[in-house]
Amino acid sequence: MKLIGRTLLVAQLLFLIGPLLLLALTALSAGETLEFPPDGLSLRWMARVFEIESFRASFMTSLLVAVASTVFSLLLGLPAAYAFSRYTVPFGEAIRLFLSSPIIVPGIVVGLALLDFVVVPFALDPIGALLVAHTALLIPYSVRVVGASLAGLRVDIEEAAVLLGSTRLGAFRSVVLPNIQNGVMAAAVLGFITSFNQVPVSLFLTGPGVSTLPIDMLAYVEATFDPSMAALSVMLAVLSLIIVFATERLLGLSKYV
Amino acid sequence: MSSSSRPVAGLIAPAFCFLLICFIVPVLLLLSTSLQGHAGWSFENFGTFFQSTLNRRVLWTTIRLGVLVTLSSVVLGYIAALSIVDLSAGNRGRVLGLTMLPLMISPVARTYAWLVLLGQAGVLNDFLQLLGVTQQPVRFLFTETAVYLGLLQLFLPLMILSLVSALENLPPDVVTAARTLGAGWLTVFFKVILPLTREGLIIGGTLVFTGSITAYITPAVLGGSRVLMLETLLYQRVHLGNDIKTASVIAVILVGLSFVANYVIRKLSSRKT
Amino acid sequence: MSSSAYLTIRDLTLSYGASVAVAGLNFEVANGEFVSLLGPSGCGKTTTMRAIAGLLQPSAGRIFLGGEDITRVPPNKRDIGLVFQSYALFPHLSVFDNVAFGLKLKGMRGGELTRLVDEALASVGLTGYAKRLPKELSGGQQQRVALARSIVVRPRLLLLDEPLSNLDARLRVEMRAELGRLQRDLKLTMIYVTHDQSEALALSDRVVVMNKGRIEQVGSPGDIYERPQTAFVAQFMGFENIVTVQAGRACGRDGALSDIAMDVPFTTLAWRPAAVVLGGGPIPGTIRAAAYLGQSIEYLVDTPLGIIKAETPASAGRVSLGSEVRIDLPLEKAASFA
Repeated sequence: MKLIGRTLLVAQLLFLIGPLLLLALTALSAGETLEFPPDGLSLRWMARVFEIESFRASFMTSLLVAVASTVFSLLLGLPAAYAFSRYTVPFGEAIRLFLSSPIIVPGIVVGLALLDFVVVPFALDPIGALLVAHTALLIPYSVRVVGASLAGLRVDIEEAAVLLGSTRLGAFRSVVLPNIQNGVMAAAVLGFITSFNQVPVSLFLTGPGVSTLPIDMLAYVEATFDPSMAALSVMLAVLSLIIVFATERLLGLSKYV
Repeated sequence: MSSSSRPVAGLIAPAFCFLLICFIVPVLLLLSTSLQGHAGWSFENFGTFFQSTLNRRVLWTTIRLGVLVTLSSVVLGYIAALSIVDLSAGNRGRVLGLTMLPLMISPVARTYAWLVLLGQAGVLNDFLQLLGVTQQPVRFLFTETAVYLGLLQLFLPLMILSLVSALENLPPDVVTAARTLGAGWLTVFFKVILPLTREGLIIGGTLVFTGSITAYITPAVLGGSRVLMLETLLYQRVHLGNDIKTASVIAVILVGLSFVANYVIRKLSSRKT
Repeated sequence: MSSSAYLTIRDLTLSYGASVAVAGLNFEVANGEFVSLLGPSGCGKTTTMRAIAGLLQPSAGRIFLGGEDITRVPPNKRDIGLVFQSYALFPHLSVFDNVAFGLKLKGMRGGELTRLVDEALASVGLTGYAKRLPKELSGGQQQRVALARSIVVRPRLLLLDEPLSNLDARLRVEMRAELGRLQRDLKLTMIYVTHDQSEALALSDRVVVMNKGRIEQVGSPGDIYERPQTAFVAQFMGFENIVTVQAGRACGRDGALSDIAMDVPFTTLAWRPAAVVLGGGPIPGTIRAAAYLGQSIEYLVDTPLGIIKAETPASAGRVSLGSEVRIDLPLEKAASFA
């Protein structure tokens, strides 16, 4: 029984990881087309990715949108998380549900709604549209992750700071913020990765000349079938794994998620 | 603390107002579009939507794939999770790490990997031709099977992780106790493990189901225009036909299905302790 | 306001919604005095303390400190120190920075700062610990840091919230002595909140006994211990045998008059177990239980007045269970109140 169970477990892990390993090997192919086993090994497709102009542009767009929307969502989400952890919020449960609704509504619906009722009427440019959409999408994450970190912090240290002469805001800055910085960093990493990999929400909001990297990749997949996509996927995968593992090592990301 | 609600309002208002204006209102406006007929409010858009064979087929495909992926992940998830909690602490950590790893990788990359595997010149076709099973490349892509595999690979980790955490919270001796009472393996599973991990099952199930029916990348890449799901149909309607009315009906269906699933999560998970 | 009053609490009332935590409290504390707020949990002592600190806004009443009405002064402008039950040290700051926190907010830097912090750490016996983080200290050491952090800024008033309750018995006695010494050395005015009568009696110049949001009695430790003025204080101070008197006779357990005469002008009398005379007296009884306490033996005696708890020196020998005895409740040893 145990042996069968373990064999099936290994088979499942193979199903989950296998295709990714295959992709990694293909990315190192020296040949012209996507095939396996690859015609010899080389880094030429890795290098080729950097020559594709549109990837460079959309990578920058994705980076900008991910960083900015992460910062905005923290600026909006942190005070809300603080209010939930320190005060009795009237209609608390309803407001919590409200603040987490961007996770529940399917991404493509969010994108279309913003396109028709915000972007078009207010003539928002694509970058602005992406920023608004991604900020909304990330607010639930920052409220929840920062909230988890605030819940582990004693309230009375703020009172102690106030009695020693601090203002409320001063106490927040000098004794709360330093003690939740790991949670804030974890929220930032989670937000960055979520935004950077986001497709359905962005789908309707990218415009002529402005695209995010994953959407650009989708378009490229439909048009071309060479190992550069595999190379790019692998590089992105490695990048996000490095970020995640570094944060896990430094802060214990999994404590908050 | 003086229990006035003034600081609370000030702290929550920015996030609340931002989401209200930039998220809730636009979404509600989009959803309300579905009720705007040629002459005022009506359900005629829904009527039109359901008259189309294609639309009905897409809805059915979406629900069927959602259910199939969910059921498969339940079966596979229990097998994996039961084996995982049986491992030594170190191995358990390693296996859980491997399970979580795909979740951190861009879904585009994860889906793209299946192209390499299932494409016309993909690994599977090469393999079959090498063995002489087939002469011509077989079309695996743009089939429901491809979409099913892609979705399963995308969401199975969520089910495994939910079930592992449910099994870890199981009182340690119940299984042993049931076994000493002479219960067979299947009896133990259905009478002891299943009822006690019900919550993890429901949370995992809802995550997988909502994830599957609202996925975009997988059906877009692996299903193409042959295997449409609700999200890809919505995109097509807007992109090719600028058909906001149909799109808004699909949006209502998607939001409805997601909210029902989420409501179930909340109801059942708040029942604990 | 009497001339000697430094802190005056007048008609202080705090309520949460419909429930009243503290109702119309009045008391005064003189400069340099050590006053305890004593009572069981939920009696309103902590609420009162937090109102004095400014962490809770009273719904009615006034608080004066040094002749100034501070009722509406925000907590960070009151110059009142508070030592928290949980210590509330800043976990990310070293011992030095914890203690320096208040001084830095006052703009102090450099050598003066270092000197005062070192002095404060020395006064609580923590010289050499300045670089440690709070989590690297034992509970007792954390307690000392909290104390040093509060006294280094020379507050006009120091509040202590059950500061010894998280320490083990030996440390508690040690810290108790140290608190007394610090208070004398620094001539600080202190309010000490506790539910432990022995701490309150040992440390205080005066004790304020609270119950259900009201003051039961204010007095010196001797007054409180020897002459409780209410049944609640009596019971809290160990007068466990309480007898009500009507028309010169004691009331029995069912409230009916017994035939035991007690000719006193009071309605309630109370005795400590040790004051009960076992073996001889007007009240008949049966021994129901006995517990050997080392120095003494404690008996539960079933009498027409109810169960009476009596304590006799162990050297007096043991009375066997079930035996019939006579007891006396000597009036001169009773606490009495109307």
